[in-house]
Amino acid sequence: MRGDSGLRISHVGLRGIVGRGLTAGHILDFAAAFGTFIEPGRPVVVGRDPRASGRMAWEGVVSALMACGHEVIDLGVVSTPVVQHALQRLDASGGIAISASHNTADWNALRFLGPRGTYLSTAEAGELLDIYHLRKFRFVGWDELGGQRFDAGALDRYIDDLAAVFDLPSLCGFRVVVDCCNGTSALILRRVIERYGLDLVLINERVEGVQFAHEPSTSARMVELQLGPLMQPLGAHAGFLFDVDSDRVAMADEQGHGVSEEMMLPLLADHQLSRGPGKIVITNLSSSALIDDVAARHGGRVLRVPVGRQAAMDALAAYRPEQIAVAGEGTGAVMMPQFRFIYDGIASMFAVLTMMKERGRTLGQLLAEYPKYSILKGEVRLESPRVPELLLDLLASYPDGRIDRTDGLRVTWPDRWFHVRVSHTEPIIRVICEQRGTPPQELFETLMDKARSYS
Amino acid sequence: MPREHLLKIGVSGVRGVVPEFLTPSLTLHFAQAFGTYVGRGRVVVGRDTRLSGPMLQHAVNCGLLAAGCDVVDVGILPTPTIQIYVEHIRARGGIGLTASHNPPEYNALKLFNKEGQFFNQYERNELIDLYHQSDFTQATNAEIGYVTTDPGLAKAIHIDRVLAKVDVERIRRRHFRVALDAVNGAGSVMTPGFLVDSLNCRLDAIAIDPTKVFPRIAEPRPDTLGELAALVLKTGAEVGFAQDPDADRLAIVDENGRVLDNDDVLALAVQRALAVVPGPVVVNLTTSSAIDDIALAFGRKVYRTPVGEANVVETMQAVKAAIGGEGSAGGVIFPAVQLCRDSFTAMAFLLDLMAESGKTVSELVAALPQYVRKSGKVAFAHGRLGGLMQALEEGFPEAEADRSDGLKLLWPDRWVHVRASNTEPILRVFVEAKTEEAAEKLYATSWGLLTA
Repeated sequence: MRGDSGLRISHVGLRGIVGRGLTAGHILDFAAAFGTFIEPGRPVVVGRDPRASGRMAWEGVVSALMACGHEVIDLGVVSTPVVQHALQRLDASGGIAISASHNTADWNALRFLGPRGTYLSTAEAGELLDIYHLRKFRFVGWDELGGQRFDAGALDRYIDDLAAVFDLPSLCGFRVVVDCCNGTSALILRRVIERYGLDLVLINERVEGVQFAHEPSTSARMVELQLGPLMQPLGAHAGFLFDVDSDRVAMADEQGHGVSEEMMLPLLADHQLSRGPGKIVITNLSSSALIDDVAARHGGRVLRVPVGRQAAMDALAAYRPEQIAVAGEGTGAVMMPQFRFIYDGIASMFAVLTMMKERGRTLGQLLAEYPKYSILKGEVRLESPRVPELLLDLLASYPDGRIDRTDGLRVTWPDRWFHVRVSHTEPIIRVICEQRGTPPQELFETLMDKARSYS
Repeated sequence: MPREHLLKIGVSGVRGVVPEFLTPSLTLHFAQAFGTYVGRGRVVVGRDTRLSGPMLQHAVNCGLLAAGCDVVDVGILPTPTIQIYVEHIRARGGIGLTASHNPPEYNALKLFNKEGQFFNQYERNELIDLYHQSDFTQATNAEIGYVTTDPGLAKAIHIDRVLAKVDVERIRRRHFRVALDAVNGAGSVMTPGFLVDSLNCRLDAIAIDPTKVFPRIAEPRPDTLGELAALVLKTGAEVGFAQDPDADRLAIVDENGRVLDNDDVLALAVQRALAVVPGPVVVNLTTSSAIDDIALAFGRKVYRTPVGEANVVETMQAVKAAIGGEGSAGGVIFPAVQLCRDSFTAMAFLLDLMAESGKTVSELVAALPQYVRKSGKVAFAHGRLGGLMQALEEGFPEAEADRSDGLKLLWPDRWVHVRASNTEPILRVFVEAKTEEAAEKLYATSWGLLTA
């Protein structure tokens, strides 16, 4: 994109590169729009990740919320899931998490949360955007402005919530290596070690604002690079790598192999469905077909929706929580009903460890029990006006598969599938195809060539 | 209330009704412009006790951090204390969140340069241009600084500077009985300690709770200080002090419960200052001729400036003045402490005079050169201002004329000063003479010429 400064204002919120695209003015105005949008007169919970720009953003957010008459309950430097858990306990109008999560240090973002800690629905997010664009904010009188107080207890109450679902002391037998990427997971896991004596070996555990030890990407490549060499020498049973905000997580097995991020959802679907057979797994059109196998094993059902958290939230809203086993993406971001559907890498880690303990398997052994799939991913830069032609061309080329056109085009055959869609954030076409067993190299090349022919 | 009063972005800074007009967004952008102007480094931020202070300070902090500055948060402090601290820690500049004596729904950003002085007119114009251009420094994550808080050092630095200029022991020995009305303003956090601990006064105070709203009209004037006057009489205090919300201005009540004329407060301070430091005196055109008489007794020169603290300060700096101020506004500016209005210096000077002379406040005032002052307002039609000024000048061809701020006409024993208000179509008329009769006559004649 021409002169891209990273600024994105969308249904997911506000994000960008601080000082390049994302300015203090954007942050304050967006927070004022949120303060106007939510129910008046009640507090708003605010937390931030350790990025240096977080303090700047925090000042603007607090000012805007106070001007709208909201008391600010500040949790300090915490992960977004800690803010979400705090919202479940407090009688608040909503929350703002200041975090660019898996982006590099120069980014930041505002994430808006509803009164129960949930992400905003598409309709709510749309209304918030309209208020932001109008810039007509509901400020209160000079003598009704909100105050601000610090709540130091949120982290412990979050850990209480985790301990109520997972038998944490029972996990003491595992040696687990964790790469905190200088983020908020370090604060949480240090406290977990103090309280329950878990054998967690933390690396990159210094909470930093400017320079992270490595890019906070939760890919198999990154986890293998960081944790691979440590696993066997330390005698570790499993390794986990968090992004700065600890809402995403990646895994390494006891051999030191990085595990594909695609494996997290099938693993947790298996874990959840084994406790509640027949429930629904919500995922998007781009995630692995392994989920279908796992669901079939437990009599569960897979509901595939367009890519993006918003589509998942809207799908969740159509069911009662007890009907859902798990919801998530191929990126490794997974939501569980026990925690009211929030993406939380720490919860995912404890779920995997619990599974290992209950089944008496190492992580490597657990993963080996699933059928092998091979996935190939690519992207092609494409002018937006050419997209419909490409999709129609592909539709005509593959008439024999099962067609889904809710987000670009997905064509599914019994042992393989592909999904071609437009990125939400960049002018590119994403091509994903997967096959049971060996990689679908020929299909992938054909799709990429076709896409390139329109660029 | 006319619209323009609700928000004013001008050479004196930004002032408005919060948060509807002086919005957090506007405040942030102005602070970011300020940070861009002063450059990366430390900026001191403090405020008075207005309820909107914390909300606006978060916006100011946000703007300064976004401009790559570090914020030194000094919390609630008197404006002069903030200014002294800026200079003391060699910060890039400072921002005081206070609308001074304006009503509680107002707030404003006061801007200080690295010397801890108000921006002069050239600095102010450059900043306003920068604000309008919106071309601010946008710090990246790696360039964003920190917010630190002052551990209470600022108060001690200010008090030490004041105490160095008076005979502290002489004051302490007198164990003065003093009454105080701090209007629940920034003085609340510092004045009681200053009077009791530093100057050993017996203190009876009202309105020293910084968490509460202003209990009276914020400007300290005779008609707003009834409670303090009553307290003075009830407790038998030797003097009563009244501050405005940011404690730069001081009003004084004598032992009889009478509120002193602000010109006399300044005159007493000038008397004290000229006895201890060299240099001329700078006052505005409307300040009493008593200042000239006192300066003459010390063999010092008096410079007159247009009305406005910034004008007085600019000239004071240029001529290396001993002391200065504005009679009508109740401000004492003593550069040996800091080049800004400071109620603490004014309090210490008065107590020092009392201790030295053994006189009561009313006796000290009675010993000042005596003048009679009168003032009033005349509404004028748009476009008539120049004609009115000319009529006045032609009516008194024998007088010496000064046209640097409106029109001032002087005779050896009397003067009249007429200037237009900045905000309303009103002429303010000030008259001073040696006798009641002469003042009355000059006022009536001037009034006649201006309303003909």
